[in-house]
Amino acid sequence: MAINLTETSALDKKLQLEHLPFTKKIDNFVTNVGEIFNWFWVILVAVILINVILRYVFRNGMIELEELQWHLYAIGWLVGLSSTYVVDGHVRVDVLTDKLGYKKRLWFEFFGILFLFLPFVILVFIYSIPFFELSWASSERSTSANGLPARWFVKGFLVFGFFLLLLAGVSRITRVFVTIRSKFGLGK
Amino acid sequence: MELVTEYFMAILLFFSFITLIFYGFPVAWTMGGLAVIFTLISMLSDTYLDTFFGVDWKFASMVVYRLYGVMANWVLVALPMFILMGILMDKSGIAEDLMTDLSKLFGRMRGGLAIAVVFIGVLLAASTGIIGAAVVLLTILGVPLMLKNNYSRDLACGVVCATGTLGILIPPSIMLVIMGDQVRISVGDLFMGAVFPGLLLSLLYTIFIITYAYLRPEVAPAPKSAEPVTLNIIFRVFKSIVPPALLIVAVLGSIFMGIATPTEASGLGAFGAWLLAIVRGRLSFKDLKSVIRKTTHTTSYIFALFVGATMFALVLRGLGGDELIEGALKGLPFGPNGVVIVVLFITFLLGFFLDWIEITLIILPFLAPVMVDLGVDLVWFIVMFAVVLQTSFITPPVGFALFYMKGVAPQGITIQNIYKGIIPFVILQVIGVAIVFNFPKIVTWLPQVAYGP
Repeated sequence: MAINLTETSALDKKLQLEHLPFTKKIDNFVTNVGEIFNWFWVILVAVILINVILRYVFRNGMIELEELQWHLYAIGWLVGLSSTYVVDGHVRVDVLTDKLGYKKRLWFEFFGILFLFLPFVILVFIYSIPFFELSWASSERSTSANGLPARWFVKGFLVFGFFLLLLAGVSRITRVFVTIRSKFGLGK
Repeated sequence: MELVTEYFMAILLFFSFITLIFYGFPVAWTMGGLAVIFTLISMLSDTYLDTFFGVDWKFASMVVYRLYGVMANWVLVALPMFILMGILMDKSGIAEDLMTDLSKLFGRMRGGLAIAVVFIGVLLAASTGIIGAAVVLLTILGVPLMLKNNYSRDLACGVVCATGTLGILIPPSIMLVIMGDQVRISVGDLFMGAVFPGLLLSLLYTIFIITYAYLRPEVAPAPKSAEPVTLNIIFRVFKSIVPPALLIVAVLGSIFMGIATPTEASGLGAFGAWLLAIVRGRLSFKDLKSVIRKTTHTTSYIFALFVGATMFALVLRGLGGDELIEGALKGLPFGPNGVVIVVLFITFLLGFFLDWIEITLIILPFLAPVMVDLGVDLVWFIVMFAVVLQTSFITPPVGFALFYMKGVAPQGITIQNIYKGIIPFVILQVIGVAIVFNFPKIVTWLPQVAYGP
């Protein structure tokens, strides 16, 4: 029972955000990266399948494959945060805001991104960098003997995921601002 | 009152959140952003007002470690897999076929179509957890058909809302995966515990529909034009029910019998659903691309809430939220059962404002240790917690499911129809909770049997 995100993002249509050339570039970039990483779900199914077969047929599950499962899953949703953001797929409670005027909704969106989204995403992004660096510098690997090497790789996706999210947020706040300016002549 | 002044900031944070989400900004970022703002406030307050919260940037930066904890959580790998399985099953057109075939089978009976809706809701409850999605699907499938056959609008709306939300409870439910993970109990136990309460509720619904249709034939008449039930129809129903039923039984069975972990079962379930869609010829390469895109969007929509709630819960805890809840609950002049009732009632109220994901991620981790201290069985408690949340989502005037339904309902359905139609089901839910509360065996029996004496 799929949720149809193009339908849930009806608010996006109502906001009728305008694009600038660079916001279009950012959104396309984020979307294209997302399209590639979507395939991780298929790979994840395959990895689980192989691991189960190995365990039951050859009585030998592999730690590597089990770790690979959560690596794939984590990377999948971290990158997905931004591609979902671009299509406005993150859940909103728009029961009341449906009745608000167009201009007000645009301003709410603007201040929401400025005071809620950006501070949070920037905070996580900034603190994820030393977290990644520490792992990189110590060439951290799995604590299990047979585990995967290069733990920094998956940790790096925390940085990458929030970087993409930050890009997508900058694009969106620009679009909201441009829309307010062109429709309501702010600052002209 | 002492608690209120001591934990003023924690209370303020929580209520700011409940107020702010109604401004329509994405819930996930509202949680994360508010936590950052409150970190700043508490730092300023520590510096200038001589308070001592100890919540500063260094404290807030721990969120990175918590997020890594979510990343490295092997149990949660089951979420995208169950979501993929659900989307594939949706894509394969099983629900539509079931509706057509079941309506022929039950068609000659009064209330038969409504029962078909309950049946489909229970069978395809797999993987839902996104309440909106299930309600939307059943509204589109079931409501026009019921209205065409002169069912009362109220009843049609009530059945769809109640059954659509029932899916969050019936295993394999992603809500139970998250709840189990948050309170650190086995997801398998929780799945087992929820089987009979889920069936009990659907049975209550069915009994109500049959009785109501019998007492007042005009609300759910037997269609005049229905074809007689032939062997052919029975065979077709069989053919459309068996594959998805087998898949669900295989997924749940392998978990219950300890053959596979929930994570493995979810991956195999997704694979099975993929085979099913292929066999039915419903999955081109383009479809597959859209399926995995939807999987990403649904998964990330949930994990954005994880991310925001992780930050929110961290700061809330830093401001003393856990001590506040523990103090408030232990200060109640009741025994364990009394505390459970109070908690369930508050959960019911919170369900008006917050979705299950936020409640599970923010509130449940605070509640679980108190329940353990009181000697309450966690599996029993969580199953009731889940049923209460479901009830809350269908309770007028602000239940989420009612609005989702209004959004896609055919023209002519008013919000009053939905409100009136859902009331009997809310009462059935309360009866259901009361039964589970008084007979904990309904929850605990299956896990006990599975593990032997």
